[in-house]
Amino acid sequence: MTTTLKVDRILECEGLACPLPVVKTKKAIEELNTGEVLEIKATDKGSVADLQSWAKRTGHQYIGFKEETGIFRHFIRKADPTETKEDVKFQYTASLDEINNKLASGEKLNILDVREPAEYAFGRIPGAISIPAGELEARYNELDRDKEFHVICRTGSRSDMVCRTLADKGFSRLKNVIPGMTEWAGDVEKDV
Amino acid sequence: MSNKLAIIASNGGLFDAYKVFNIATAAAATDTEVAIFFTFEGLNLIHKEAYGQLSMPVGKERLEQGFKAANVPSIPELVSMAQEMGVKIIACQMTMDVMNLKKEDFIDGIEVGGAVTFLDFAQDANVTLTF
Repeated sequence: MTTTLKVDRILECEGLACPLPVVKTKKAIEELNTGEVLEIKATDKGSVADLQSWAKRTGHQYIGFKEETGIFRHFIRKADPTETKEDVKFQYTASLDEINNKLASGEKLNILDVREPAEYAFGRIPGAISIPAGELEARYNELDRDKEFHVICRTGSRSDMVCRTLADKGFSRLKNVIPGMTEWAGDVEKDV
Repeated sequence: MSNKLAIIASNGGLFDAYKVFNIATAAAATDTEVAIFFTFEGLNLIHKEAYGQLSMPVGKERLEQGFKAANVPSIPELVSMAQEMGVKIIACQMTMDVMNLKKEDFIDGIEVGGAVTFLDFAQDANVTLTF
């Protein structure tokens, strides 16, 4: 089954040998904006290890890969060097332990995952709803202002921004979940 | 963090060329500053006429099929990719003198220098490779 994930650009590297997938990935990432997601389609088996190492060396976020009939689909998000900094400003926060304990005790939480669709597809807290940070302005009306929301992203930075935006829109029961999915060790739900 | 790769290319066959330029382009694509010093037979790899027709090692000619099947880029393609990403190419002056070669005999965009030119770059390289 082929799943389509919303990405900002698709790079076709089918039939290309090492080191072309890496060279083309570098060029494509340079042309993206921070936070955008690139999908790389490659047939080179070496690309599985190579693109993960590449992302690690260059500081971009390797979201994951999917193998479909001999084609490796890699998902990489262009990282922002400031994103890893502790820059949390929204005053109400919740820890991952709190979330885990509440879920374990059967409590129903509204978890709002504001990462990109590809990140969400490769692993999220079970039951989390997805609204990418970039779509918030257009979609915040889908959410009930009176409900409590636990907002999560990868490192706590995008979710911090979303909490502040939602607070401005009149949401009053918000918590920024920190540090975010990078440290989440509980159950995950995925589409891939 | 400075990220530098220094390569010495001193052999002139097709396999040598792939080893040198695959590593160099992969490194350049991974935010690494790369310089290659071409010396002795390594000069073949950047010689205008020679670099497009480098030979396979004797007895390995049958691998030509494999190169085609795997869709491996040609050496001139890899070289221009490397240069586009800022890989510094240094031809060894001493070998050029011995072989009576001029800068014009080589591809565009190269530097010519002596051992110290290369050492100056290699001095603080994180990785140094010899092919």
